[in-house]
Amino acid sequence: MSEGSFLRVRAIAKKEVVEFTRDWRTIIAIIVIPLLMFPLLFILFPILLESETAELDALELSIVIQTDGLPENLAENISLSSMDYSIELLPNLTSLSEPGQDLERVRNSSTDAVLRFESNDDVWGYAILHLSTSERSNEARNRLLNTLSEWESSETRERIEQGGLDVNTTLDPLRWDGEISSGDVATSGEQSGMILSMFIPLVLAIWTYSSAIQPSIDMTAGERERGTLEALLCLPCTRMELLFGKWLAVATITGVGVLLQVFGLLFAIGYLASSSSFIGVPQLSVISICLIVLSIMLFAVMVVAFELALAMRSHSVKEAGSILAPALMLILFPALFTQVINLDGIEGFWFAIPVVNILLALRELLMNRVITEHVLIWGISSIVYASLAAYYASRQFNREDIVTSLS
Amino acid sequence: MPKSLLSIQGVTKNFAEVEALHEINLEIYSGEIVGLVGSNGAGKTTLLRLMAGVYKPSSGTVNLSNGEPVTTMRHELGVVPESTGLYSRLTAWENIRYHSRMHGIPDSVSWARTEKFAEHLDMKESLSRHTKGFSRGMKQKTALLRALAHGPNILLLDEPTAGLDITSARTVRALVRQLRDEGGTVIYSTHQLAEAQQVCDRIVIIHNGEIRADGSPLTLLEDSKTESLEEAYVSLTQDQARTRKEDNDRESAFTGWWRRFFTPKTPQTTREVMESE
Repeated sequence: MSEGSFLRVRAIAKKEVVEFTRDWRTIIAIIVIPLLMFPLLFILFPILLESETAELDALELSIVIQTDGLPENLAENISLSSMDYSIELLPNLTSLSEPGQDLERVRNSSTDAVLRFESNDDVWGYAILHLSTSERSNEARNRLLNTLSEWESSETRERIEQGGLDVNTTLDPLRWDGEISSGDVATSGEQSGMILSMFIPLVLAIWTYSSAIQPSIDMTAGERERGTLEALLCLPCTRMELLFGKWLAVATITGVGVLLQVFGLLFAIGYLASSSSFIGVPQLSVISICLIVLSIMLFAVMVVAFELALAMRSHSVKEAGSILAPALMLILFPALFTQVINLDGIEGFWFAIPVVNILLALRELLMNRVITEHVLIWGISSIVYASLAAYYASRQFNREDIVTSLS
Repeated sequence: MPKSLLSIQGVTKNFAEVEALHEINLEIYSGEIVGLVGSNGAGKTTLLRLMAGVYKPSSGTVNLSNGEPVTTMRHELGVVPESTGLYSRLTAWENIRYHSRMHGIPDSVSWARTEKFAEHLDMKESLSRHTKGFSRGMKQKTALLRALAHGPNILLLDEPTAGLDITSARTVRALVRQLRDEGGTVIYSTHQLAEAQQVCDRIVIIHNGEIRADGSPLTLLEDSKTESLEEAYVSLTQDQARTRKEDNDRESAFTGWWRRFFTPKTPQTTREVMESE
């Protein structure tokens, strides 16, 4: 590339980025949302859930118990679970689960739940009537189930003891010796890499594609619609320079968005790691890190060129949007599919399938597995796909009708 | 004899089956204002785009005086397309600077030229403003400044006064004449014959993709033996203007069917209109 050509490409890319970022909506779309999405999802959402759970725990519930004789210790346990109850006689029903006359009062929330409890020689039968669309009713059911489960355990122990058996050996004849986690020979870094490999490739693939949609359309079909492309084509720059400059701008904007999102994801994971033993810092070699960067770059070249080409084919912003948005499926399905592919003993051809190859490569590399054969296959195939996408984009940019617009 | 700057030889331009221009031969000389006059769809914009190197001719050549095709010498040209082509999130000066940089001109040089012409167009105060809120006239003036900032030899203007108020149109025309007086060459496309007569040294009448007349206003009158240019134009373009191919004609069988399926029948009578309400 000559110096003049380099300067023109730089001028195009710079202008595109400056113009694009002057729109405050863009700043929100490419900086604020990617940065906050995962922290909000992983940190605030659990906090919100916790506060909701605490609110439910504090509820005083009222239930009806229909029984022919309630064991005293069970009645005590129910009272301890913050549930007021009134006792009624069991109605005459073929099955305890039949709502019968009680349907209306549960549906209209006169009572949060109805427990039916019937003694039958040595066993008891029970059923709970509740309204699954009501939080209070669901909570009443859960508390009742917990209380009944505890009562059942104590009843079981009592009966084992009465039979002259040892409770512990009867109920727990097979036991793990020592710490369960000590049995896993993978290091904590490898385990973290494994967990991250389930998130990061998916996030990168979807976000790379989706965050490139808006700039791709704006810089091609948008220019065409606004009539700015014609003036640009009269300038002493080749259409390849134009394509390269625009590609560089879209790749920069997309890259910033993806980086911020990954940063947000890592921050959220770091927060979780500090507050629990769920995840740690992944253990990656320098080669793995370099190959991760290379694979993302190749993916970005391919995706951005493909999107620019599709957008350039379109006569208007609306048309480009209606093509590029559903084309996300071309990334989404392989991305989801890749998550369930078993990497142990995986055949080499998987690493030659477009989109799947890069996602599998990312999964392997995040687990710090550098397998030369796989690297060569995904490296070469990705270069081929990226070149094809770039060639397709250059063909679209060389069309004469790109100066005409439907508007 | 003035020096030829741009030579168009035997140029034909086809878009699929439509022949937009047929066997065009035209020489543009240094220091003249050439008016391309024709009705909508006559081929003026296509000819300007060929001159600017946006389109390639289907046959024939568009070369500069040194024999080089215009695509290799675009810095010789300053172009103001009909749509002006300004970026609304950039200031007027940023728009101008962007194009100048693409021409490889240092900012200081393009600023000096811009400042000079901005005075004439009463645009100096507006150079630092974003073009989003600009009126049509201000946009046109900014596009003109942008086309002049790198010091082109030939200025291509596509309907530069379309949609402008009287004062703005007057200012643009005055600048064009001033550029000619300073030795510049201007190709000025318009469908207003009176405007062409007022501004141009030479008028080229285009109709249905062909050049029907080429000469000074006086020569045109003499050749056509008419009292006014308007009469001359009418006599030269008596055959019915072709209609532009609609998009509907170009669409595929499937998209055509799809569109027609969702388009209700256009009523033909008042009764049908009332029934469709």
